[in-house]
Amino acid sequence: MALDETLREVWPRVRKKHLFPELPYPLCAEGEKRVGLDIKEKAISISREFVEGMCQELVEGEVVEGLLDHAVSHYLCCPWNLSTHLRLYGEAKKVLRDKEMAKKATDYFMDVVADTHCVSQKETPLPRIYRHLRRGVLDEAVHALYERIWGVDLGVEGHEEISRKLSRLPYLDRSRWGDSMKRFAKAIHPLLQEERDQGGLKRPGPMGGHRMRQYSKEEIERGFKDLASDSATPSEFKEIVRDFEDDILEANLSEDGSMGLGPGRSLDADLLYYMKLAENWMLPIRKMPTKKSGSLYPHHHEPWEVGKPYQDIDPWTSFGKIMPGITQMWRRLEGDIFGQWEGIPDCVVMIDSSGSMTDPRQSLSYAVLGAACACDAYLRNGAQVAVYNFSDAWSGGRQMLPYSRQRREIYRNLCHYFGGGTSLMVEEIETLHEGKVPDLFLITDMQITNLETLIQYFNQCKNRITAVHIGDNRHVATFRQSMALRKNVEAYAVEKKDDIPRIVLGKVRDYLYRETL
Amino acid sequence: MRNPFLDFRSVPIRKKEIPLDRIVRAKQAIMDRIIEGYLALVEEEVKGLVWLVGQSHEVRTYNAALRSIQGLQYDQDDVEELCAELDSAKKVPYLISGPAGIYLSALINQAREERILLRLQDFERTFHFLGYRLPQGKTLILRGNVGDFIGASLAGGRLVVEGSAGNWCGAGMTGGEILVTGLTGQKTGEWMRGGRIQVDGRIWGVGQNRYGGEIYHRGRPIAPLGAVDQSQSEDDDGPG
Repeated sequence: MALDETLREVWPRVRKKHLFPELPYPLCAEGEKRVGLDIKEKAISISREFVEGMCQELVEGEVVEGLLDHAVSHYLCCPWNLSTHLRLYGEAKKVLRDKEMAKKATDYFMDVVADTHCVSQKETPLPRIYRHLRRGVLDEAVHALYERIWGVDLGVEGHEEISRKLSRLPYLDRSRWGDSMKRFAKAIHPLLQEERDQGGLKRPGPMGGHRMRQYSKEEIERGFKDLASDSATPSEFKEIVRDFEDDILEANLSEDGSMGLGPGRSLDADLLYYMKLAENWMLPIRKMPTKKSGSLYPHHHEPWEVGKPYQDIDPWTSFGKIMPGITQMWRRLEGDIFGQWEGIPDCVVMIDSSGSMTDPRQSLSYAVLGAACACDAYLRNGAQVAVYNFSDAWSGGRQMLPYSRQRREIYRNLCHYFGGGTSLMVEEIETLHEGKVPDLFLITDMQITNLETLIQYFNQCKNRITAVHIGDNRHVATFRQSMALRKNVEAYAVEKKDDIPRIVLGKVRDYLYRETL
Repeated sequence: MRNPFLDFRSVPIRKKEIPLDRIVRAKQAIMDRIIEGYLALVEEEVKGLVWLVGQSHEVRTYNAALRSIQGLQYDQDDVEELCAELDSAKKVPYLISGPAGIYLSALINQAREERILLRLQDFERTFHFLGYRLPQGKTLILRGNVGDFIGASLAGGRLVVEGSAGNWCGAGMTGGEILVTGLTGQKTGEWMRGGRIQVDGRIWGVGQNRYGGEIYHRGRPIAPLGAVDQSQSEDDDGPG
């Protein structure tokens, strides 16, 4: 019987056996003879060569059913999602301290859990497949373990000690997987070293390896979000992300820039850490009365094409030429003015990156995290964000990003750390306004050398100002005292992660602008 | 309309008992008893959470440990698992170094295996008192660095430390052999009455009160001949 036909017959049976998992119809693919399965975005591919090879010993239907059981058990039991996969990998890495070894150990652990779950709950031909698989050093030991914990004969000799050690782990107890993973990795460490010496570490297991691409894009996003929340420091997160960098790039997650891909498409793990961590909090923004002005204003450039009006051509960016592809024209958008309808204005985020602040690449910076949450909130509401990153360090001292909706660019500017003292140039902030009345978001420890200038500026400002101070000191007291009577300034203290969700952006006690004014 | 849940009716759901369930249950029961024994020992011996090293304390704690593990069937994997539990402090609420080490030693001394290997290199905690009263016929191999009083009162067994040991290594040992591939701390072999200590790394100090036994440094006897020449061992770091 042709493999496609067998698959058509077996798949409904396997689905029913596993209580109808939501998986797409599996595919038959040309693949490696040694590896049975490949999974890409949840679609299972069965290797024709592998099945043909196994058919010398088993019936084709049995081989296909066993492979499908294995793949479905991974989906239903372990790892279940990328968060679990990364968590297990993190535990293995702690013990093995080697990327390739940790990946291999994680793959084997997940195989043991998934297969044991399947064998203990379903009728499956998996043991018969394992009996006839070609084995490497590690496979021998794992199959010896299967003999012990499944109570079947797989024709393995030796590996008494290691299989005895491995057999005591509670593979089916999800709550103890972290601990079990550590002990599993520790027990197979000598075998992994042996595999490494034989150059077999990068070779996937006989049933196929576990790659990032097996998960859906949403799962990958979610996985890194959970990892960021679980990591105590950016370096902990960075270490794991770096280990999976090739996998992430292979999974092709770069289109929307949500994965912190930097220049040259390398992955900036620090940006990704704050991006994912910030996704845990959704700061509320008070809307403010706005209305459309009814007038069109030049907003951005777009290429001019034949048939489009000449009057909108911008000669300055078109090199004086009228030629499709070269000539640029202004795209006009309707402007906002203050009115009765509510909307969200753009925001200028001012972040202190002086020496008294935490370096966001060394440890978790509440300033960057708070600013990131604020930026996300404005971006989510369709507004634009400009960034003013300031200190008075000799090496530059400040970085400015004009209004943008590019999340990656915004985060890159937020994560920049200067060190040095703190000085804030009011004129520079005003240049970022670009004639608008944006919300202002300041996050600092208030140890600013020209704090008086800042206070004076805020006293004159008609913008809605959210000031967040990290920690508490006499400068904070001065600032709070000076701003006590200002109805458009709201100050918040952040000392720990839990303080961040208390921030309400654009909260004012009274609107300064009214249509009647 | 056809009921979409009808398909589920024909799916047999029954969990099979596989040997893993039995193994895990049995091991869990043993571990629970071992941990229970340790907690009882701590409660009995460490009133007020203070335990001071002293001959009578150690002996009393060791005897109490022997009583609490009496009749227990376990193997070296259980001992290693207890080390992991003590290290992670998930099930064991507090670790008090002295009683913990003596309890582990009692387990090792009463285990049915003659050769026991403990891989301690991945643990964050340092274990003290391992190899306490290790009897003749037993070989204990400790992989990784260990703490103070390693091989204290060693009674004829063979203790191999594949790493470094802290102060008072082999204190009061009466017989047997201790091999340390790394360094040992101060007062190595203090109150030693017999046996042999062989150290491959630096010895930070030899005990002044010795009544017998031999100490070798990189194959050369240094005791009872005299104190160690510290300038000879220049390439090692300090203890701990």
